[in-house]
Amino acid sequence: MLRVENLYKSFGGIMALCDVSFRVEPKTITGLIGPNGSGKSTLFNVISGFYKKDKGDIYFEGQKIEALQPFSIALMGIGRTFQISEAPQKMTVMENLLLAPKDQIGEKIVNVFLHPSKIREQNEKDLQKAYEILKLVQLHDLRNEYSGNLSGGQKKLLSLGRILMFDPSLLLLDEPTAGVNPTLIKDLVIAIKKLRDEREKTILLVEHNMKVISEICDKVIVLNFGKKIAEGTPEEIQENEAVLEAYLSGSARQRGANGNS
Amino acid sequence: MGIINFLVYLAIMMAIYGILSLSLNLQYGFTGLANFGQVGFFCLGAYTSTTIVLVFKLPFILGLLGGMLASTLFGYIIAIPTADLKEDYWAIVTLAAAEIIRIFFLNESWVVGGGPYVGGAFGVGGIPQPLRSLFSAYTYPFFYLGIALLCLLVAYLVINSVTRSPFGRVIKSIREGDNLAQAMGKDIRKFRIKVMALGGAFGGLAGCLWAHYHGFISPEQFLPLETFLVWAMVIVGGKGNNKGAILGAVIIMAFYNSTRFLKDYIPIEEVTLASLRMVVIGVLIVAAMLFMKEGLIKEKKTIY
Repeated sequence: MLRVENLYKSFGGIMALCDVSFRVEPKTITGLIGPNGSGKSTLFNVISGFYKKDKGDIYFEGQKIEALQPFSIALMGIGRTFQISEAPQKMTVMENLLLAPKDQIGEKIVNVFLHPSKIREQNEKDLQKAYEILKLVQLHDLRNEYSGNLSGGQKKLLSLGRILMFDPSLLLLDEPTAGVNPTLIKDLVIAIKKLRDEREKTILLVEHNMKVISEICDKVIVLNFGKKIAEGTPEEIQENEAVLEAYLSGSARQRGANGNS
Repeated sequence: MGIINFLVYLAIMMAIYGILSLSLNLQYGFTGLANFGQVGFFCLGAYTSTTIVLVFKLPFILGLLGGMLASTLFGYIIAIPTADLKEDYWAIVTLAAAEIIRIFFLNESWVVGGGPYVGGAFGVGGIPQPLRSLFSAYTYPFFYLGIALLCLLVAYLVINSVTRSPFGRVIKSIREGDNLAQAMGKDIRKFRIKVMALGGAFGGLAGCLWAHYHGFISPEQFLPLETFLVWAMVIVGGKGNNKGAILGAVIIMAFYNSTRFLKDYIPIEEVTLASLRMVVIGVLIVAAMLFMKEGLIKEKKTIY
């Protein structure tokens, strides 16, 4: 489904991605973990075309995609969310969802005047779908609220709702449960599993919550300082020496920086 | 000048600037494109229509359509290389583009054809007014007001339909940044280019109406100052709201012309008063930004 080969990306002197290769198999959930600054979000940005890679190849369903514009990559079927959720100040939650569907005829100016009834029809269908998704992400009561006014966790839910409306075959989710309350996390975990099992979606997600990772991921990829240091099932990863080293040394360093906490 | 005459003149100006304001509101208020060269559309529309009607002796309606077409193309063309620029760079590019248009007409007098008109710095006079012979000098402004209001209505209906459509949703989503729309598969370049083209069409329409009303145009009427007058309208009226854009035009034009009367009451020289007009507008912009960030009429929420 997605194949990344020997990918490099640096920002000035910082090597954000260094020789990263992996595969994401169709209809699986792959977790991407690593300490802060290990290159997870950079990897998302390179795959989705927001950053240009320095070296390496990215294939999606057999096609090279690294030279494409972000919007074309999205239209090919790779949808993404952002670590810091995009939530326009003056667009309501519902408008955010209605923005997402592909092939909206009303996005062409001439059609606004030539086919108003077709636009209304399409809008009606999208609305039905949007209401279902709003229930799933529990934002139904906030549908007429400006997305800029939502809390951080609600913005995460909105991002998830929007990408479900967009309906890509591969979903790149950047920390979908960050800032979301524990009860709702459980619902989200169920929903994400359903995407794989019932709707045959492929998911690659960045996540810091290890409980979520071990519960839903078929495979986990671990990054540290831009390099892939491990790959395997959640159980294998939790026992991997290199991984423990990366996380523990990271936290030890943080403890040093914060004094004695 | 009789008070009625003045009010009709004022209403015509309000209608023409209302169209300019609606056009800028589409670009800035809805799409976040800081167009500092709105006057370029105005100027190009005025000169194109004048050329078509005066030199080629074609009917007014063709001048109007030609002026709109020229500004549409101009908007389209300047948007192509600049569509990826950030807001502040965009402002500089559009400011320069409008000046290029103005300076072009300052230096070219091919518009003259063979008639008694002079182009370039002297301006072009004797621009025919549509259906002038059917009316008396007194009734004609009323007729022209009708044309101007009709054009304003068309501009409002078209722009309002567009901003309320799925197209409008996309341009609102790119107002604060590119990421979201791109991740949702929208070709933001195309949307920006289309907005500039549509905005250009109506900016050009306002220019045509201006030229044929005054009967005389010259490059100095299209200084960057005019652009900021239109900005004041959008900011005071309410960005992101089409009714607000028109209300802003009404208020700013009323203030702008009020100094004509102040000379009877305030012992200041007329020349000084004329310059004070811009001070008044400046104070209005600052006041709106400080106390009414969203303008007089807030952006309308779509409720589901």
